[in-house]
Amino acid sequence: MEKISQSVIKKDHDPKISGRSIYVCDYPSEGVLCGKILHAKVAKAKVLGVKVPELPEGYFYVDARDIPGDNNVNIVLDDMPIYCRETVEYIGEAIAMICGPDEKVVDKLLATCQVEYEELEPVIDLRKATEAFFNYDFAHGDLEKAFAEADKIYDEEFTTGYQEQAYLETQSMMAEPEESGRMFVHGSMQCAYYVKGAVMRALGCGPSGVHIYQDVTGGGFGGKEAFPSILACQVAVAARKCGKTVRCVFDRREDMEYTSKRHPSICRYKVAVKDGLVTAMDIDVIYNAGAYSTLSAVVLQRGLIAGPGIYKVPNLHVHGRALKTNTSPCGAYRGFGAPQTYFAVEMVMDHIARDLGIDSLEFKQANFAKQGDVTSTSGRYHFPIPIPDMIEEIDQLCHYRQKRLEYSKPQTGRYRRGIGMSMYFHGAGFTGSGERDIIKAVAKLRKYADGTVEVLASNGEIGQGVRTTFPKIVAHELNLPLEKVYYNHPDTARVPDSGPTVASRSLMIVGELLRRAAIKLRTQWIDGEEQEVEEHFREPTFMIPFYIDKFQGDAYPTYAWAVNVLELEVDTYTGITKVLGAYGNFDVGTPIDYNIVMGQMEGGFLQGIGYASIENMDYDAKGRIRNNSFSDYLIPTTKDVPNLQCILHVDKYPEGPYGAKGAGEVPLVGGPPAYLDAMEQALGGVNLYHAPFSIEDTMKVIMKEGI
Amino acid sequence: MADIHFTLNGQEVAYEGSAADRLLDVLRDTYRCTSVKCGCKEGECGACSVIIDGILHNSCCVAMGAVNNCSIVTMEGYRETDRFKVLSKAFGELSAVQCGFCIPGMVLAAEALLSQNPKPTEEEIREELSGNLCRCTGYNAIVNAVKNAAKEGDGLW
Amino acid sequence: MVDGFIANSLAEALEIRATQDVVPYAGGTDLMVVNRPGLTYLFIGKVPELKRVFVDEQYVHIGAAVTFTEAIHNPDVPTLMKEAISRIAAPAIRNAGTFGGNLGNGSAKADSVLIEFATDAKLRLVSAKGERIIDVDKFYLGRKKLDLAKDELIAEILLPSKGIENYAYTKVGGRNALAISRVSFAGVFASEEGKITNIAAAFGAVADTVLRYKDIEEMLLGKTIAEARELRQDYLQAYSERMVLTRGRVSAEYRKGVCMNLLGDFLTKFGI
Repeated sequence: MEKISQSVIKKDHDPKISGRSIYVCDYPSEGVLCGKILHAKVAKAKVLGVKVPELPEGYFYVDARDIPGDNNVNIVLDDMPIYCRETVEYIGEAIAMICGPDEKVVDKLLATCQVEYEELEPVIDLRKATEAFFNYDFAHGDLEKAFAEADKIYDEEFTTGYQEQAYLETQSMMAEPEESGRMFVHGSMQCAYYVKGAVMRALGCGPSGVHIYQDVTGGGFGGKEAFPSILACQVAVAARKCGKTVRCVFDRREDMEYTSKRHPSICRYKVAVKDGLVTAMDIDVIYNAGAYSTLSAVVLQRGLIAGPGIYKVPNLHVHGRALKTNTSPCGAYRGFGAPQTYFAVEMVMDHIARDLGIDSLEFKQANFAKQGDVTSTSGRYHFPIPIPDMIEEIDQLCHYRQKRLEYSKPQTGRYRRGIGMSMYFHGAGFTGSGERDIIKAVAKLRKYADGTVEVLASNGEIGQGVRTTFPKIVAHELNLPLEKVYYNHPDTARVPDSGPTVASRSLMIVGELLRRAAIKLRTQWIDGEEQEVEEHFREPTFMIPFYIDKFQGDAYPTYAWAVNVLELEVDTYTGITKVLGAYGNFDVGTPIDYNIVMGQMEGGFLQGIGYASIENMDYDAKGRIRNNSFSDYLIPTTKDVPNLQCILHVDKYPEGPYGAKGAGEVPLVGGPPAYLDAMEQALGGVNLYHAPFSIEDTMKVIMKEGI
Repeated sequence: MADIHFTLNGQEVAYEGSAADRLLDVLRDTYRCTSVKCGCKEGECGACSVIIDGILHNSCCVAMGAVNNCSIVTMEGYRETDRFKVLSKAFGELSAVQCGFCIPGMVLAAEALLSQNPKPTEEEIREELSGNLCRCTGYNAIVNAVKNAAKEGDGLW
Repeated sequence: MVDGFIANSLAEALEIRATQDVVPYAGGTDLMVVNRPGLTYLFIGKVPELKRVFVDEQYVHIGAAVTFTEAIHNPDVPTLMKEAISRIAAPAIRNAGTFGGNLGNGSAKADSVLIEFATDAKLRLVSAKGERIIDVDKFYLGRKKLDLAKDELIAEILLPSKGIENYAYTKVGGRNALAISRVSFAGVFASEEGKITNIAAAFGAVADTVLRYKDIEEMLLGKTIAEARELRQDYLQAYSERMVLTRGRVSAEYRKGVCMNLLGDFLTKFGI
């Protein structure tokens, strides 16, 4: 193992394990007002008025009229209001906030607020939704010809459900008016500078009027990419009105029901096959965006780009829409739109192979894209595609082929087994030219007179280890002991904007800036002096420029690759499905810390398995989510899986630090197709079309097929 | 009914509030034991785990009246022990701590396990930690860390 | 202070129960999920008379305030009961949750209650005025409705000490731990001199209360295994017709399908 990959004790290990870390809920309550949101109870209505009970002294009612700036939260289209406008568009939309010193009194006041609604007809059913926030279309090749000449055409539809991030720390934020008039907002978040932009707009102030600090954050997984901007605006407006510090900590039900989740999807795949090869795909994708557009544009883009999977599809048409429904706005969740289309493409490939009477792995292998091939967006796969090697490695690990063959023989008895495989990439970093044109990351190193070096960047530690890996890179280049280099949680008042903590980009992009900065510092190093160096993002020169309006060019500089295998045993009496084995082979380039990377792989993989099986969330005909607690939205416990077996395949990326690529998201993506592939085999070779696939779904098939 | 008396991390205390108050809230607000985290308030996540008279409990599901004359240990007290040091080292060596929110509760669940069963199998570890949700790690590192701690701390439990 | 009573003896608890408007609090794991403001709790979790487990000629007595963890470690508690309660939630909940609380909560999903139905358990209910012993199925009057007077406490569960060694038990939850039952099944079988003397089948989490149909069971009582095998289809048919299930976290069809599978498996297990 390379030196940089050798594991260290994480920098935040001691404070976290000893319980000394202060999360935003842990600051003392003295002098802090508790803020709670008055949520809409209907999916669509005009708000005619709110009868607010008489407020005791020191209690405040805050709504849109109190916003000094603009009632639009900076995200992408900025259509989401801080507090509702004339109408509410989903159950849970914030109408107002009540703030006061005693939580119990605030609760009572909230319960006695009477909102007068004039109910309007909501759009609840995704299939009946027509308003598209985003509508994208791209193609290459000659689709018509390919379908005309095909030996066989397949037309299938796949659906996926919500997935809730279920970070253990709920959304929480705090705003403190400072004596200077500046507003200090801090809390649980992934993207301090996103929050900053949003709060500036809400308060109508310039960059010096606000600063944002990321507190210790109890998990994000994408759920704290955009939503914290909304909550930050809400508490900042409240703090401005009250003239006091306001803290809002969501309870679990509030968080599960009203904050952003993974988009439910409907994906239709029409595939032409000739001589055992896929010659064309016509893909139609619908994502349920919810009531406001938030991040749906970028989520959908990533999903569409992943549409044809890792296969060479010479003739391709992709059409995708993010549709408005009157439900909680969906947003970022680890994988960011790709898990939905990967599920569809992997399943359709399995189904085609089954229909052709060939093994699905063989069929997929025959259709793999190779280095130099054209991507879905007419870019290039610039680097070797390691999937064939990775398949052999995972086969050695878990004897996939042997078991696949064994379980394909007719099974009898109560328990049936299956083994399934998925293979995919995850584009590393922002889609398209985002890094170059929008983010323009800057990172700094500050060396103090005592020889210690501080990393100055805005990427938040959310458990993924950047407080450790960033200093590791810098210490490595400067030949310093790790103790001499440190990285604190970012405060926008003192760190440059190195971009958000999203898109598996922090280590690959910002880590590389820090590596370059460290080299610069090394060459300029003067003992005993305070010095500062800075590095800016440079786009790799090999990139084919990307145009989002045409979906053309290199959508990503490189890719993380993965092969997942799941082995299942189904109890045909109950539908209960046991995960016998979970195997993942991941290529995220050079691991900057082996344990940290393995922690990402294992954690992400288990989220993927949950997404495939037990993590079921839906809304009813009124648009209300009932699975809003940990007893109704089930995430895996220690007892739901054996030890996950993950291995790393290392294909270095020359533009990443020491060859590192994006790692955070890739482990989650392939859970559903591997799980369903195994399930199909266990159920005797049926075709299945949706995830999550619950015990009840399993039982339905068993009863229908007479298994 | 008089004050509720109990021992908190070795200190005797008298609580004057309501017998129906939640132990979780009282620990956090009155006694500033903020290592005890609130993840759900429904006994479904284990982030608020504490040890009462040697036994693991979800402090969100305990009313103050139930802890009269009990001895309560939270991470604030446990972190001073040699057993904690062994567990902390084992967790650290496997980078088993990610976001950290579940961790104080998880470590106390490990303590509750090891104090009853100093040499647990992997299955027993998975059973005893099954009420403590972790969304970050996939549990491998945590389960392996507890296994290693049991080995390293031989004789401590 | 304050609102709450801590009882140190059963007599004290019953005195308070008779004179005050209190909610009995044993383990707290159900009550505290809601913790309705304004309730006055009577803390009975440490009342010695409610913490005992002992066996007499007829019954295994399990005190209402015995926790599930205590019962799992007690050699006198029957295996069937242990199997069911070891699947409840997770260790911290089992460390606090009690038999009395599982009953008092009134849910048809209560895992220990299913076993009490399947084994014809009795409950000893006590008040300052005296005590009564009733069959567990009589205790449940309907959804969340219990035959428990305002001055009464559940004191003990009386499980038969013999005849429940042969059983089938399955819990279907949403996952392997921290799971509320979606369907649960317990069957108890006994025979003497080749004739079936008991063939109890109880279904949990599928209706307002635990279901058991003693009249259908009678079809097989007194029969030999061979005779019972002949009646198997009729017996299953009778259940299938009788069981009208409600939907919950899972559909009524799923519940029915699984119940019938588990019932069939129970028969098969004992050669029927």
